[in-house]
Amino acid sequence: MRDMKRLAGILLLFVAAAPGAKFYNDDPLIQEPRPRAVLKAASRKVSDYHDILWHTLATPGEKQRPGAPIPARGVNTLGDPMEGAWWERRHYWRRMSLTELKQGPGIASVPAMDGKWTVVSAKTEGITPGFVVLDRHKRRYFVKFDPPSNPEMATGADQISSKIFYALGYHVPENHIVYFSPEILELGQDVTVQDRLGRPHKMTGRDLTEILSRVHQEKDGRYRATASLALPGKPIGPYRYFGTRRDDPNDIVPHEHRRDLRGMHMACAWLDHDDSRSINTLDVLADAPWGQYVRHYQLDFGSTLGSGSDKVNSPRSGGEYLFAWKDAAVQLATFGLAVQRWARADYPKLPAVGRFESAMFDPEHWVPEYPNPAFVNRLPDDDFWMAKQIVNLRDEEIRAIVSTAEYSDARAAEWVLKCLIERRDKIGRAAFRKVLPVDRFELRDGRLEWVDLAATHGLGAPLEIGVRWAAFDNGAGTNRPLPREVTARLPRMDGNGYWVATLTSPSRPRQNVRVYLRKRGDRTQVVGIERTW
Amino acid sequence: MNRTGIWLAVAALLAVTAAAQSRTAEIEAARDAKTAQLQPEAVTGFESALLEVKQRKIIERLTAGYHGLRVKLGGMATGSGFAAGPELFRDDLLDGQIRVEASALLSTSRWQKYEAGIFAPRLSGGRLLLGLEAVRRDYRALDYYGSGPDSSRASRTAYRLEDTAILGSAAVEPVRHVRIGGTLGGLWTDIGAGRRDEVASTEKIFNEASAPGLAGGTNYLRSGLFGQLDYRDDPAGPKSGGNYVLAHTWYRDESSGAFGFRRWDIDVQQYVPFFNKTRRLAFRARMMMTDTAAGRRVPFYLQPYIGGSDDLRGFRPYRFTDRNAVVYNAEYRWEIFSGLDGALFFDAGKVMPHRGRLSMADLEISPGFGFRFNARNRTFIRLDVGVSHEGAAVWLKFNDPFLPRLFGTGTRQPLY
Repeated sequence: MRDMKRLAGILLLFVAAAPGAKFYNDDPLIQEPRPRAVLKAASRKVSDYHDILWHTLATPGEKQRPGAPIPARGVNTLGDPMEGAWWERRHYWRRMSLTELKQGPGIASVPAMDGKWTVVSAKTEGITPGFVVLDRHKRRYFVKFDPPSNPEMATGADQISSKIFYALGYHVPENHIVYFSPEILELGQDVTVQDRLGRPHKMTGRDLTEILSRVHQEKDGRYRATASLALPGKPIGPYRYFGTRRDDPNDIVPHEHRRDLRGMHMACAWLDHDDSRSINTLDVLADAPWGQYVRHYQLDFGSTLGSGSDKVNSPRSGGEYLFAWKDAAVQLATFGLAVQRWARADYPKLPAVGRFESAMFDPEHWVPEYPNPAFVNRLPDDDFWMAKQIVNLRDEEIRAIVSTAEYSDARAAEWVLKCLIERRDKIGRAAFRKVLPVDRFELRDGRLEWVDLAATHGLGAPLEIGVRWAAFDNGAGTNRPLPREVTARLPRMDGNGYWVATLTSPSRPRQNVRVYLRKRGDRTQVVGIERTW
Repeated sequence: MNRTGIWLAVAALLAVTAAAQSRTAEIEAARDAKTAQLQPEAVTGFESALLEVKQRKIIERLTAGYHGLRVKLGGMATGSGFAAGPELFRDDLLDGQIRVEASALLSTSRWQKYEAGIFAPRLSGGRLLLGLEAVRRDYRALDYYGSGPDSSRASRTAYRLEDTAILGSAAVEPVRHVRIGGTLGGLWTDIGAGRRDEVASTEKIFNEASAPGLAGGTNYLRSGLFGQLDYRDDPAGPKSGGNYVLAHTWYRDESSGAFGFRRWDIDVQQYVPFFNKTRRLAFRARMMMTDTAAGRRVPFYLQPYIGGSDDLRGFRPYRFTDRNAVVYNAEYRWEIFSGLDGALFFDAGKVMPHRGRLSMADLEISPGFGFRFNARNRTFIRLDVGVSHEGAAVWLKFNDPFLPRLFGTGTRQPLY
C-alpha cells in the first residue's frame, strides 16, 4: 500500500510539474477521451443516515479557501465539462425542438399498455410505496405514485424536473406518466416482499392491494404513476458529491470540483431540488463495444417543485439546511422573532403543486437539505455556466416541458410555469451580476463576436464592452500586448499562433473575460475562455 | 504487484506523461495514475453499520419486539420512578383491523401496573372504532395535598391506590373530523396507606371529612358518552386546527351508594400557525367538573386535579385537588431547527369546590419555557421548566404536553 501511495504521489507531482503548453493541439476537447474499460466495480450502497450526519457535521471533500479559490475541473479550455459519462452538451449548444424537450431522454420505451404488467418486486413499507414491473416486452419499470393528499404532485414534478435536467445535459432515466387499471397487474412467480420489520414473505394480491390503498386513485378507478425505465447496465450504487470512485480509472476529478456538479446547484435551486444528495444518484456499468464504463445518473425528481414525494415539502426546503449552527443559534436567541425570508412565502392552495413559489426565492442563498460539497465549492463561473443554460430555456419551451406533467388543473400548470419563469430570471440576474455575462464567442467577418446574455434575455442593460488584444506565447504562457488593437476586429495575425482578447466593462472593473484564439493555416478558432471576477 | 513491478510501472508512466503533447494524453496519464491505485469501492465500518441498521430494520425490529413481545418503558403515573416491563403489542392482526396490547410494568418504587386491551380502530373504513380494555394498578404513593384551592404545599401526603378497571368503548365517525361514542365498564378501587420517605401517609393528616373516601374503596359501574371534533392537521404533532372534546361520565356507586357522582370533561385545543407553520400559538382549556346528588360525595382520589408536567408546570404533580378544576395553557412554539422547537408557555388554573366559582379570578399561574425534540413531526423528548410562587419544576417527558389525555375516561389516562 505504501508503494502504491508513493507511486501515485510521484505521478501526480510529475504531471503537475511537467512542462507543457497552455493549449494543446486537440484543445478544446469537446468529448472526454474514450473511457477505459472498468474491469472491477463492485456495487455498494450509501447510508443516508451517514450521509446527512457526515455532511452536516463536517462537510467532506476539499473545500475552498479564502484567497486561493480552486477553479472547477473536469472542463475543457472553453470552461465547459467534456461530454461523456457525466454530462452532454444539449439545449444551450444545439437548441432542442419543443418535441425534443418534451421527450427528454426518449419516448421509445413507453410501457406497453396492451398486455399485463408483471410485478417482480415491491416496496410495501416506507413512506413511498411502489413496485417494479415488466411490461409485455420484458422492459423493467420502477412505478412510483402520488400521495393521496396531493394527486399529481410528485409524478408531475418528476416529469418536469427530469426533462429539464436532461435539457441541461445530465443523464437521467426515461420517465413516463402512466394511467393504469389494477387489472393490468399480475404477480410474478416467487416474488417476495418484506414486511415493515424486514421479514420476507411471498408477495400476494393482498400486498398489491395494500400498496395501492396508500396512494392516490383517480375517480375512474385508475392509478396515475411515474414509470421509470430501468437504466441500461448494471447499477453499482450512488456516487458521492466529493472524492472519486476508487474503482473507476476514468473518475479522476474530485467530484466537489467538477463543474457539472458545482453548477448543478443553480439547477437544483431553480427546481427546488433540495433532495439533491448522493442517494438520488446512480452509477451504472454501461456497456460499450470496448467494455464497460461507469455512467453517472441523476434520479428521483419526485421531491422537486415543492413536492416532498409523500407530502408537500417543508417551507424550510431550500431556505435553510435541516441543521445549521448559526441559523439555529439565531432562532434560539431571538425566540423565533428573526423571521426567515423563506418563512414569509405564500403558497397556492393547489394540491398538485406543493410548496413552490418564486417571490421569496433567492438563488444565491438557496440550499439543499444539508451541505453538498460540490455546491458549497461553487464559484461565480460555475453559477454562470449553469445560469446561461437555464436562461436559454424560453417561456414557450418551459411551457412545453410543464405540459408533460399532465396536470388536470390548469391553474397548477400555470402556477408552475410562472414560478419557473420567474425563478429562471432571478437566477440569470444573480449569476450575470457576478461575471461579465458575455458568451457564445465566434469569429465572423474578421471580428470577434459575442452575445451579452443579460441583455439578450432582458435581465440587464447592455454592457459597454471594451477589448484589448495581445499576442499569446503558448509555450511560455506570456502575453505581448498589442496596444493599438482595441476593437472587436481581429488583430493582424502573421503566421500561426495564439492571440488573446481581454473583454472588460467600465461598469464592472473587477470582471473580465479572456478569449484565446488560435490560428492554424487558414483556420482561426476560439480555443479558450477564462473569466475573472 | 511486487515492488519491482511498481517501479517499472512508474518509469513507464513517467515516460508516457512526459511525452504528453495533447489534452487527451494528459487525461490518459491521469487515468494511468488512477489505474495504478485502483481499489475496491467501499464504505467505512460506521457507515456499513448504519446501512445494516436501516436495511435490516433493526430499530423497527427492536421497537416491535419478538412476535410483538417487547420491553415497555414508562407509562405509569408521575411519581412512580422508572418503570419497565414486558409488553405484547400486535397491530397486524386481521390485516391491521385488530390491535392487541398487554403489558406488566414494575417501577423502581415498586408500583405496578397490568393492562390488556383489544381494539378495532379501523372498522367500516375507519368510521367505527371498538375497544375493550382492562387495567390493574397498584400505585403505592400518590400525592395528596388536601382538597381545595387553599391547600398548603406543606400538607403533602401520600396514599396508596389500588384499582381495577374494565372499560368497553365504541365510537362512530358520522362525518369527517367528528366522533361520537360511549363507554361502559366497571371500576373497583381500594385505598391504603401511602409509603414515601419524609411524607406522611394521607390518613395521618386528613380524615374522612376532609378527604372523602379515605376510609376505603368503592366499586363503580362507570358509563359515559363523548363527542369529539378534531380537525388538527396532524393529531400526533399538530400545527394547525383544533380539537374539541366533551365527555360526560356517570360513576354509579355499587357498594355503599354514598360516592356516586357525575363528571364532565371538556378539553379544547386550538393551534394558530403563522409564518408557514414555523411558529404557532397553541391554546388549551381543560375543565373537569363533578356533580353529585344531595348527600353524595366524590372520593378524593377521583376528584379532578391539576399540577404537573401536562398542565400547571410550575407546580408539583397533583398539587391541587377539588371537585372541579380548570386549567388554561398558552404556548408560543417556534422552530429552532427542523428537529427542535422552542416553547414559551403560560399556564393558569385552579380548583373549586363549586362550579359557581368558575371565573378567571384566583388562578394559580405558572410561566415557563421548554424545548421539544421531534422527528417526523412527533415530539420524542420534551424538556419543560415551569415556574410558580412555589418554586420551579423541571420536566423531562416523552410526549407533547397537550396530547397524553384521551377522550372519555380510558384506563390509559394518567390517573382518572
